[in-house]
Amino acid sequence: MLRRLTQLALLLLALDATLCLAEEETEEVTESRWRLGAALGYGVRSNPLVQSDDIPIIVDLDIAWFGDRWFFDNGDLGLTVADNDAMTASLVARVNSDRVFFGNTDTRFVDFDLAGMPLAEAVEFKVPDRDYAVELGVEMLTDGPWGTLQLSAFHDISGTHEGFELYANYSYGWRDRRLYIEPSIGASYKSADLNNYYWGVTDDEATVVVAPYEAEAGLNWHARLMVGYQLSRHWGLSLVAEYERINDEAAASPIVKERDVLGYFAGVAYRF
Amino acid sequence: MRLLVTLALLLPALALAEDQAGDDMRLIVKPVLCITDNRNPSCDMSFLVVWQSGDTGYHCLFTDFTEAPIRCWSEERAGRLSDDRIVRESFSYWMTGSDSSSRLAEVTVEVLRMDSDDRRRRRRTRHVWDIN
Repeated sequence: MLRRLTQLALLLLALDATLCLAEEETEEVTESRWRLGAALGYGVRSNPLVQSDDIPIIVDLDIAWFGDRWFFDNGDLGLTVADNDAMTASLVARVNSDRVFFGNTDTRFVDFDLAGMPLAEAVEFKVPDRDYAVELGVEMLTDGPWGTLQLSAFHDISGTHEGFELYANYSYGWRDRRLYIEPSIGASYKSADLNNYYWGVTDDEATVVVAPYEAEAGLNWHARLMVGYQLSRHWGLSLVAEYERINDEAAASPIVKERDVLGYFAGVAYRF
Repeated sequence: MRLLVTLALLLPALALAEDQAGDDMRLIVKPVLCITDNRNPSCDMSFLVVWQSGDTGYHCLFTDFTEAPIRCWSEERAGRLSDDRIVRESFSYWMTGSDSSSRLAEVTVEVLRMDSDDRRRRRRTRHVWDIN
């Protein structure tokens, strides 16, 4: 009986010690699950489409929540399935970003087709509309003294383009007190279905202005430079420049005028 | 009884005078922000501490690191010193007068950790608004 009680007491002590340790660990974690911020400034992202306007950036909002497994990051919804010293893997649902260019196009009367040939009479033309696609995929994050690597694979689950995208991004950050500089490079492979949905021109969409076009798979490249200067606990200056080279198949589309997408933003940021 | 009433009337006035003495003390510390990350978990900093008081007297400078004052000044109304420290956590400098339990002015040096152990906070999304 005494032995049983002793065992029970030892078990309770061990359990108590474990709970205390867990509490201590919880107390050490002071980082908020929320990441909320806003930046006010001026920036532009160029639009590669014909008859389109560049995308202005005046206000940038950063809204994210990170739970133990679930997270929401500026529109992406994720479920972390593995997290260890080597890497973090998550299932992520997101909205495809290629659609953003098609929201800033104009309707114009043109008297030349998109190949530069004169038309018999001026006709109305607008870049064909495209829908947002909801995509589901896996994302792997790993880091070390060598930098940060992000790999992901996404597939359309909304029946919009029915294609997939493979994405890789490498970044390395330097900090010198308040100054932070982070260059990054990466590539994005877009399947034929995805590429053709956004950058192709179907027979139904073809007019005297634009000929039908079918895009195959292609590889986009991107590079980015972010410079941040922390003014105080909450305020900082942010400067970002980004370059993306659209793949050959998309760039050859008659609805594309520029194969280089340039973006920049400079502003004051507040983090709550 | 009259003495008690007089004291009761004077006490708030005395307390106010003490507050006013506190308000007269100015304490300036530069810099007041230390930024750390995984590669640099601490800041090797040289702080310039400058104080100025409306009253000449005995004043001491304290920090959270030691119970004893860093330095005291007698019959002075201003002073400055340079304080070199390796900083890992937020802490305060404060000035006292002859009563060391009363802080006349206080400045907090904040430590801001920029890196997170959560890798997901460093993920890049490809949305047009992902700029910070």
